[in-house]
Amino acid sequence: MAKEGNEDEMVGYRQQPGKLPFAKPGSGGKERFSRPTDEGLIPESQGGELAQPWGSHRHDNLVSGQVIGKPTALVDGRWKVTGQAQYGDDIRLPGELIARIIRSPHHYARVLSIDCSKAFELPGVVAIATGADAANKFGVLPVTKDEHAMAVDKVRHVGDLVACVAAEDEATAREAERLIEVEYEILDSIHDMRDGLKNNEYPIHDRGKYHIGNTNVQKRVFQEFGDVDGIKTNAIASHKENWLFAGVNHAATEPHAVVAHWDPSGRLTLYTPQQVPHYVHRALADVLEIPMHQINVHRTFVGGGFGGKSDPFPHEMCSAILARKSGRPVRITFDREEVYWINRGRHPSRIEMNLHADDKGRICGIETDALIDGGGFASFGHVTTYYNGVLHTAPYEIEAFHYTGARVWTNKPASGAMRGHGAVNSRCAVETGLDDLAEQLSVDPIDLRLANLLPPHSATITGFRVTSIGMRECLERVKEESCWDEKFRKMPLGKGIGIGCGFFISGSGLPIHWDPNKFPHATVHLKIDMDGGVTVHTGAAEIGQGSDTVVAQSVAEVLGLPLDMIRIRSRESDTAPVDLGSYSSRVTFMNANAAISAAMQIRDELLDATVEITGADREKLVIGDRRIFAKNDPAVGVSYLEALHKAQEDRGALVASGAYRTPPMGRVHKGAAAGLAPAYSFSAYVAEVSVDVETGQTKVDKVWAAHDCGKALNPLAVKGQIIGSCHMGMGQVLSEEMRYGRNGHLMNPDLLDYKIPSVHEMPEIIPIIVESNDPEGPFGAKEAGEGPLLPILPAVCNAVYDAVGVRTAELPITPDRLLRLIERKCKTEGIDDQLDLQSPRLAHSELQAVLAARAEEHSKRDLERRMNDDREPYHNGALFGLDPTTPPDEVDERWAVNVIPSDDYLAEPRLAGNAWKHTERRHRGDS
Amino acid sequence: MVQHRLPMLPSAGDVPWVASVNGVEKQLNIENNAILLDVLRDQAGSLGTKRGCDMGTCGCCSVLVNGEPRLSCLTLAAEAEDCEITTVEGLAEGHHLHPIQAMFTECGGSQCGFCTPGFLVVTSALLEENPSPSDEEIKCAIEGNLCRCTGYQQIVDSVRAASEILTSGESVADSTSPKSDPHPGFSRE
Repeated sequence: MAKEGNEDEMVGYRQQPGKLPFAKPGSGGKERFSRPTDEGLIPESQGGELAQPWGSHRHDNLVSGQVIGKPTALVDGRWKVTGQAQYGDDIRLPGELIARIIRSPHHYARVLSIDCSKAFELPGVVAIATGADAANKFGVLPVTKDEHAMAVDKVRHVGDLVACVAAEDEATAREAERLIEVEYEILDSIHDMRDGLKNNEYPIHDRGKYHIGNTNVQKRVFQEFGDVDGIKTNAIASHKENWLFAGVNHAATEPHAVVAHWDPSGRLTLYTPQQVPHYVHRALADVLEIPMHQINVHRTFVGGGFGGKSDPFPHEMCSAILARKSGRPVRITFDREEVYWINRGRHPSRIEMNLHADDKGRICGIETDALIDGGGFASFGHVTTYYNGVLHTAPYEIEAFHYTGARVWTNKPASGAMRGHGAVNSRCAVETGLDDLAEQLSVDPIDLRLANLLPPHSATITGFRVTSIGMRECLERVKEESCWDEKFRKMPLGKGIGIGCGFFISGSGLPIHWDPNKFPHATVHLKIDMDGGVTVHTGAAEIGQGSDTVVAQSVAEVLGLPLDMIRIRSRESDTAPVDLGSYSSRVTFMNANAAISAAMQIRDELLDATVEITGADREKLVIGDRRIFAKNDPAVGVSYLEALHKAQEDRGALVASGAYRTPPMGRVHKGAAAGLAPAYSFSAYVAEVSVDVETGQTKVDKVWAAHDCGKALNPLAVKGQIIGSCHMGMGQVLSEEMRYGRNGHLMNPDLLDYKIPSVHEMPEIIPIIVESNDPEGPFGAKEAGEGPLLPILPAVCNAVYDAVGVRTAELPITPDRLLRLIERKCKTEGIDDQLDLQSPRLAHSELQAVLAARAEEHSKRDLERRMNDDREPYHNGALFGLDPTTPPDEVDERWAVNVIPSDDYLAEPRLAGNAWKHTERRHRGDS
Repeated sequence: MVQHRLPMLPSAGDVPWVASVNGVEKQLNIENNAILLDVLRDQAGSLGTKRGCDMGTCGCCSVLVNGEPRLSCLTLAAEAEDCEITTVEGLAEGHHLHPIQAMFTECGGSQCGFCTPGFLVVTSALLEENPSPSDEEIKCAIEGNLCRCTGYQQIVDSVRAASEILTSGESVADSTSPKSDPHPGFSRE
């Protein structure tokens, strides 16, 4: 075969002398050469051209220049664009029945009787189930299992499940739904979350000896760090705001759906679009009273999760129960309305935010009081209650921190986890508060932030271990690219610009099921046989965020293979190792780490085999594109397939299992584990808005969105996540709201009245990726899925203030709400025409120079700390003159950590603090 | 208290229905009040056409009826009788993806993918009519479709990229063409 000139000049692999001149079995391709290594993807530390301003990384030597850092199309994308991706409702099994759920029409009622006789008479009805068929409780958190498949005794919100019916077709099932007669005794329902704090004749749940008073308080948290009493004496500026956040729903485009099928051997396969198949697996075993190994949870394609598909759901139990009764597969698909009845969206919240700054422009205190409305069930609420406080203790250094949180049950659909879990609302309150503090101090809000940041490798006031932190770079980039200095407080009335920051966990340090506690968080299995393709088994739930792709990329990179040689099997619990699922932004960090660890084992075996074939020095071997060769003499080497076949001698397929578990970290006080993460992401956004002062209509014109994701393994997906987060956050800040009427009815359970932004509402978004190279992240990566949502809300709120000079404390900022505020401002200022309003202006005070100088100094400090491997510990408080090397609570009495409120506090508690006025039943001795 | 609901409308019986779905003539018996979306999904085998809201708000169920984008959840099947219906399954030619399909994967236009069929169908109709649309024209074409993942920006990017491919006259490679050789560097004679 004639050789083409330029191909000979390639860096490509040359056949080793003495090797047989025919193709290896299994090779069927047609490429003659490996691709030359892309030096732009190889880090400087390995002699490549990829700049590493943050230093080298422990995975640098695994980079083969294949796919890490390259914009990569999702590996399952082609299924989606051809219509061949099977989502929940697309699973059609022969002989399937269609089931419908009978839901409560009442907010709160006792179920007295259920009469199914008429429904059974309807031809085509095959099976009916009620609460009597499933007595066991379940719930996503083992400490708060409070759900039944269907109502046992009581229904707790409109739409709560009462019974379910399976029939030959949907029309029959719907007709049967009508014929099932349920007798209720209506109870007094509560809808205002503030009522949940009071004693009640019939609390929505009974927590036995842990029940708090006779109230509907599901969880209460109290945390004080530092000298909270000293705040008042230090503060020269204080901000106080009472926020009201409406509940919002994930509004994923795919309504929930599930198919259950018991196979002839008596095993259950549940097909469900789930973010956390493993928890469903556990819950099914509890409810059906069968061992877990008798169940195969099959995750279908997931049409959007955002936290809305991360609980084990009662309808999943219903389908399994009906399929067991009928002996046939049962499919349940929700109407859009039912999605709102199952909800699990962001908690409606009342947050009182107090921020204090001292004469040096330091944040000398944050006092937060958050009452959150959990709806009818616990869901993830235990965690949410903590997150509303602990997730705003960074990225700033704080002198004292007080948090009281309470989550109450009300007769609404349950709230739960939603993108930015628990952090979004309180972050919005903190960031707008900082804007107000900057205003009071007459300084630039970006400089105020820059002068108060924690350095890399530090501990927050609550004891979280911060490793990499790219907050400073995020702020500097958005400031520069948005031309902040030319615009802030300088634009005409109706035009405004605002800043917001964010901080989020990259995986939860403690898994939800931590017993036995040495289980890994993530496990990945690899299998490679003679064909050379790599099968990756992982339980990570691909929900569109690109987790399959990121795991495939990690394996491809370590083994030096093109992405098309990697196939992911992540669907079934029968084949996938246990994975905790796609929540708390854990997948990239934990699963890619596990995948790397598995791939490293295979890599070692391939290197050993290469040594055996070529006799080369193992230390000198490097992996390139489908070849392994000596770095000093590339002529000495073998193809990937040759090394593989050598390694397979006498044993067959190579298999490897890699796992990831978080390192030990954090403090020991009650609740210390909430918010702990192996790494944290940071982000800073600048939003530019136009407000029509005559109508109150707000339009976001442009957003500069900088996010520190450690290392963008797949920049295309990271940008997609940033832009998508902006979309969702913009919805919450401007238009989305679950509106409950006077009688507590949900008024907009559909996508017409629940307004998610359409393409016309979306501004231009400039995603800016900041790579801080996390020391423990896979190739340096951290999360990018949830953190980017946080800053958009306060950035828009602050921009609205810049535009018209009014601060909102109620979201969403709908035109009617904003117009009322504008009119009120005009009235108090005696202005007749809204167009005569003055938008705020800024004249810097002397403090501005102090802050700028401190920011400059800290910038140098941070650079030194991130580049210096041998670094001193840095505990929050050093900015206030404390010794950075010891946790302050160990040396200073005033810094004692409190998790129980004092009597002084209880004499005058804030709103959520009232939850602490009640005594747990076990302490009253009456149960 | 016993809850009473209104009885459902009785089915009006089956009627024969003929239409071309992705170039194949389908002769079906459908209920005469059947919705096009149900017929496509349950009887015509087009599970790629998605049901998102049942009330015309999300656009996931978009299909082309005689080349025009229609919300199949708001269309009676009878309205589409004898028409040419194109769903997402009808966009590719064999294993050659339509450029709009290829670009949705390459440019990040599809994340979870549930809304993707609707977007693809609508934008393929746009490109058919206007091979090089402006960003504003693209936005107007997709204004009836909701996407919760992408924030639309990469969708617009995808359509723009597809339009460039279409105007340059290129086509997308056959997806069954040979993939990477695990044993490269060897000439096979």
